[in-house]
Amino acid sequence: MNVEYLNPFIKSTVNALSTMACLEPSRGNPYLRKTGQKIECDISGTIGVAGEASGSVTVSFSESVARKIVENMLGIQVDSLNDDVKDAVGEIANMIAGGAKGELSEKGYSFKIALPVVCIGKDHYTEYPKDIPCVVIPFSVEEGAFYVEICLKVDDNGK
Amino acid sequence: MKVIVVDDSSTMRRIIKNTLARLGYTDIIEAEHGLDALTKLDGVDMIFTDWNMPEMDGLTFVKSIRSSDSYKKIPIIMVTTEAAKEDIVEAIQSGVNNYVVKPFTPDILKSKIEAVLNR
Repeated sequence: MNVEYLNPFIKSTVNALSTMACLEPSRGNPYLRKTGQKIECDISGTIGVAGEASGSVTVSFSESVARKIVENMLGIQVDSLNDDVKDAVGEIANMIAGGAKGELSEKGYSFKIALPVVCIGKDHYTEYPKDIPCVVIPFSVEEGAFYVEICLKVDDNGK
Repeated sequence: MKVIVVDDSSTMRRIIKNTLARLGYTDIIEAEHGLDALTKLDGVDMIFTDWNMPEMDGLTFVKSIRSSDSYKKIPIIMVTTEAAKEDIVEAIQSGVNNYVVKPFTPDILKSKIEAVLNR
C-alpha cells in the first residue's frame, strides 16, 4: 500500500483526537498485519469504504483509552463501555475515515463511506479478505495504545 | 431562537448542544435522523444536521425542507465528517447555508452560525 494513502488517515486520527478529546497521540511505526494476527483491544469502530478505494478502516481501543476519550469529549465520568462509549467510538471512526476521504479526494481518489459498526470484546479481531492489504498504524496516549487498521484496495487506473 | 440538532450519534448531538448552550442557545431539540426531524420542525429557527444517517440522510432531509412551503426559509448548517470538496459543493447546491466538518472547535461552529445569521 502506497504511503500516499496512509498519511491522510494518520493526520485525520490525530486531528480527531486532538480537536474533540484534547489528546495528542504519538504514532508508532506502521506494519502489515498478518492473517490471524490480533490486536489488544476492548472496543473497535469500523467504517466500510467503497469506490476507487474499497475495504474498511478500523480504530481499536483498550477500555481505559476509550473511556478517557469519551470523558474528554463529553466532560463526564465513564466507568464502563456503556452506550456513550460505543457511540463515541463509532463517531471517532467516522471522523478518521471522513477526514482521510477529504484529503484523498483532492489526490483524485473518490469513495463513499458507510455508517460505523462498533464491536466490543476482549482482543476481538476482524478477518479481512486475503487480497486486501491491511496496514496497522499504532498510536499511544498516556492511558495506553490504540490502533488504526487501514485495509484498502485502491484502484490506481488512470492515476 | 429555537434550534434542532439532527444527528444519529448521541455523542455528537450532546457536543453540538453543549457548544450551542455555551453560545447562549437554550431552546434546543434533537432528532436522530431526517425523518425524525421532519416531524419536529414547527417553530424551529435554525437546523444543524449531519449527512450520513439511517432512515433519511442529511442531503435528502435538506432537499425535503427546501421543497416545503412551510420550512424552506429555515437556515441549515450541515455538520458532518464528509470533508471532500465535491461533497461540500453538493450540500451547498442542495440548499445548505453553511458547512462544518467534524472534528470542529466551538469557535468554528460559532463563526459558521454568525456567517449564516449575518447574511
